[in-house]
Amino acid sequence: MEDLFLTIVTFFPLLGAVVLLFVPANQHSTIKGTSLIVAFVTMLFSFWIYNRFDPVASGMQFEVNLPWVQSLGIDYHLGIDGISLLLIVLTTVLTVLCVIAAWHSVTEGVKGFFISMLLLTTGMIGVFVSLDLFLFYVFWEVMLVPMYFLIGVWGGPRRVYAAIKFVLFTMFGSLLMLVALLYVYFEYQAFAGEYTFDLLKIMNMPLAYHPQLWLFGAFALAFAIKVPLFPFHTWLPDAHVQAPTVGSVILAGVLLKMGTYGFLRICMPLFPDATIAYMPYICILAIIAIIYGALVSMVQRDVKSLVAFSSVSHMGFVMLGMFSLNLQGVEGAVLQMINHGISTGALFLIVGMIYERRHTRMIEDFGGLAKVMPVFATFFMIVTLSSIGLPFTNGFVGEFLILLGAFKANTWYGVLASSGVILAACYMLWMYQRVVYGKVTNPKNQNLKDLSARERLVLIPLVVLIFWIGIYPSPFLNRIEPAAKQVLSHVGKASTVQLNESYEIVDVPVLGASSDDAEAALAELEGAGR
Amino acid sequence: MVPISAYLILAAVLFGIGTVGVLISRNVIVMFMSIELMLNAANMVLIAFSRALSIADGHVIVFLVLTVAAAEAAVGLGLIIMIYRNRATINIDRFSLLKW
Amino acid sequence: MEFQLPEINLQLMAPEIFLFLWALAVMAFDVTTKRKSSSTAGNLALVGLAVTGVIMVFTDQGRGFGNMFFNDSMAVFFKVIFLAAAFMAIGSSFGLTHTRILNHRGEYFGLILLSTVGMMFLASSSELISLYIGLELTTIPLFVLAAFFKDDRKSVEAGIKYLVVGAFSSALLLYGLSFIYGLTGTTDIAQIRSILAHSAVAGFNPAYQESTPIMVMAVLAILGGIGFKLALPPFHQWVPDVYEGAPTPITAFLSVGSKAAGLVAFAKIMIMGLYDLYDPSKAPNDWGILVGVMAAAAMIVGNVLAIRQTNIKRMLAYSSIAHAGYVMVGMLALNSLGLASVGYYMFAYLFTNMGAFAIVALIEDRTGSCEIASYAGLSKTSPFLAISMTIFLLSLTGIPPLAGFFGKFYVFAAAIKMAETGSGLTWIYWLVGVGLVTSVFALYYYANVMRTMYFVETDSPLKVTMSPMAVAVIVIGVVGVVVFGLNPQPIVQFASDMPAALGALLP
Repeated sequence: MEDLFLTIVTFFPLLGAVVLLFVPANQHSTIKGTSLIVAFVTMLFSFWIYNRFDPVASGMQFEVNLPWVQSLGIDYHLGIDGISLLLIVLTTVLTVLCVIAAWHSVTEGVKGFFISMLLLTTGMIGVFVSLDLFLFYVFWEVMLVPMYFLIGVWGGPRRVYAAIKFVLFTMFGSLLMLVALLYVYFEYQAFAGEYTFDLLKIMNMPLAYHPQLWLFGAFALAFAIKVPLFPFHTWLPDAHVQAPTVGSVILAGVLLKMGTYGFLRICMPLFPDATIAYMPYICILAIIAIIYGALVSMVQRDVKSLVAFSSVSHMGFVMLGMFSLNLQGVEGAVLQMINHGISTGALFLIVGMIYERRHTRMIEDFGGLAKVMPVFATFFMIVTLSSIGLPFTNGFVGEFLILLGAFKANTWYGVLASSGVILAACYMLWMYQRVVYGKVTNPKNQNLKDLSARERLVLIPLVVLIFWIGIYPSPFLNRIEPAAKQVLSHVGKASTVQLNESYEIVDVPVLGASSDDAEAALAELEGAGR
Repeated sequence: MVPISAYLILAAVLFGIGTVGVLISRNVIVMFMSIELMLNAANMVLIAFSRALSIADGHVIVFLVLTVAAAEAAVGLGLIIMIYRNRATINIDRFSLLKW
Repeated sequence: MEFQLPEINLQLMAPEIFLFLWALAVMAFDVTTKRKSSSTAGNLALVGLAVTGVIMVFTDQGRGFGNMFFNDSMAVFFKVIFLAAAFMAIGSSFGLTHTRILNHRGEYFGLILLSTVGMMFLASSSELISLYIGLELTTIPLFVLAAFFKDDRKSVEAGIKYLVVGAFSSALLLYGLSFIYGLTGTTDIAQIRSILAHSAVAGFNPAYQESTPIMVMAVLAILGGIGFKLALPPFHQWVPDVYEGAPTPITAFLSVGSKAAGLVAFAKIMIMGLYDLYDPSKAPNDWGILVGVMAAAAMIVGNVLAIRQTNIKRMLAYSSIAHAGYVMVGMLALNSLGLASVGYYMFAYLFTNMGAFAIVALIEDRTGSCEIASYAGLSKTSPFLAISMTIFLLSLTGIPPLAGFFGKFYVFAAAIKMAETGSGLTWIYWLVGVGLVTSVFALYYYANVMRTMYFVETDSPLKVTMSPMAVAVIVIGVVGVVVFGLNPQPIVQFASDMPAALGALLP
């Protein structure tokens, strides 16, 4: 029975989409109802998995391993650790909220919209559960198509341009990944005499230094485009601004995480030497992203593009945390992935809510909303503060851990990244102030209705999560920790092996704290009797 | 005895004339005749080798090739007549409804 | 010289003989019955193909006609593709029998069958001359079919152009083959290979040793001839014209059946016969790199020029040039994966392209237009066609989990394996690189069609009435693309037998 959990949670939305195909297109309420039920049941499944997940055990849980294309060694191999678990729960929760949020805002092509949503959910969950590289690639690409249609059909005025740009960027990255994946596949065959795409097996293959650099580069490019890491971020503002609200929420909430997840799940364990070699460069890019994203956010006049650029900055934090290569950094990065999904998702929902009322997102068109829509202003305040990373909100915990990790890796990283936190406070609060405080200058804002019950229903779970993670993060951190250690032990193993045996003279950059940390993590794991 | 190279050179010349004919001629019938010339160059090579190696295969092949060429010519001339009825020309440059 | 009566194994040829007779019968039937019902001839042709398929199940594998005919697993695999392509082409022609092919229906369907017979002979030939004749039997009916709309100037023009190019290329091919015969003294492909492999045995033929320039010329002529059939640049210019002018089902048949036939010819002559001239250690003096350059050019030319097209048939024509390039990448990977990947690719391409052209044919029947712009609003008026077309286009792009993706993946896998194992073959990486970059271009123009169907508003959306046969073809296409994409194992298994058919030829 346990074997089936992941399959069910992955393919239940797909099943829902197939059912929707047979519902007549004009029965809007049936379509919406069905998708809500499907999304809700998927969420319950994911909660169930969360409940049954053993937080202490290291390694993969709920594993399924069935042959798929036998002659080529492609398997249907699923399994999750703490990192994927949290991302799955995030995905299913956001999907439910998105279905509710889209209830009234989507009027044209309702059927297609919800089918795309459910397909997208399957693709996203699939990425987080696959342990077979081929399967991973399939889900990675599958999700492009519904996203293309979500942006292209239901998006803003320049939607077609944005949709095609999004797909071209992602496709370019993923094709490089395909080549790298095939190279690894044949390398493993040469190494072990067996054709397989199984991530867990390939992880144990030692690779020479130079191929590692190339392969890491190819995978990293695909993931960096998705994250998006500076300077590959140019598709993001277009896609976000043009996408419908729900599309932006999913894009920011989940899709961007697939990039960082890819780094953690594939790049770091598979190419440990390259990870260490690239570490400073990626950290510098991440810091540039943090500061650049923040500065560009500051000058945005459109709330939505402000939030979009703030994503670049926040994802920079995640990247920095991961590539600090120590436990605090990685844990913080994973937690920050979840946090960013929650707070940025909530921000996009909020932007969508005022856009539905006023059909504009320009900051200058608003002002004084606190008087007209007090409930809205409260929610907006909480989410803004969480995005800045105020203590007792989720953002604080994540950013704090990341900065801790960054300082440990290199003091300068920490110092520079901290400036990003300050800048975030500037642009978010300034935006908040211009939108919500002051006098009601625009007469059109005079009679805006406050949030409806449905809209509150969407925001309340997110606010609850914001405070829960902010005040009591340990259930989440407990689940992340074994997985993070596992990742670091792979990176650590390589560095120690290379340093001790020195079978090949490689210029591994001196890491100071980080490689010690990895060794410590390794020792800890071995101590645990693994 | 005439050396085999003489036959091969003759065949090459024939083939060359045929190729050039196809490439520069604008008249479909001339193009078609040039193609026949190319086929016959190939036949020549076959027979020359067949004789030189004293293996009969080549001779047999030539008969088959002649048959195929005849079939091709039958279809080709039919098509040429059809297009002449349609357009009153067989100049290939005029066949430009489709961007060549 | 002693003459031996060759062993004639007529039973091996049963499917071909049956289909040949049936083709004649379909033509004769039409003449005698004075075309009472519009679909009888078509139905007869479909029955013939189905029966041929059944006969094939009971046909043994083996050699016959004194080694001129060899029914191996590669032949069987490709025969399945040919039969299916003919089946789907005939299925999507039913609309035409009501509108544009009112006379000579029997000839139309009979000629398709005859061309199929040619392809099947080609697939089974193990010797240069039966191969040449098979190829001619494939193309000559297609000349007529391309020009089948006698009153349509475009169609006739397409026929003439195809005729000139086809005849020219087969003359080129024959000229090359005649030298291969002369230099090795045999037309049997396996013998050619063993003679070339042991050039010590070349004492058998004194001409061989001092004949390298002649051999090079022969190989060039053959590459030119097959290059035309496969539409590899620089021999591709005829493709868009012929594809645009020919009746749409024939275009589809050309793009799948004729292309697969070209691939078989390539595999037989170049890989089974002239394998040893593809000498990785002597690169770049071998034909491998030459074909590599042609394949790269095909991917670039096809994908780049397709972007500018406004006519969907021309667009698909350029895309078929590009796909020929992708297939050749797999073909050049002379390892156990290579040929199997080519087989899988063509199988996927069969369902994808036949399905896509079936939709093009339906819409052309309705509107008389093949402009992409006329597809605007299709998602509203006919969601079935729009979704099916989207699936086909996504498969052509190579988006998982559709069959087209797995084909591309398989081809690139074979190529990378070759590049990893072979010495001096790093240029294959470049080939794969070109393939990847051009795939992104491909995404752009396929997405353009999807964009038109879904995103573009129109005042006069087209309404399409669908004949059941056309729907059947489209459904077969969609099911094939999805099922063999999700579960490629059976086809991969089937295709993996092919390299074994080449014996111990491959590393």
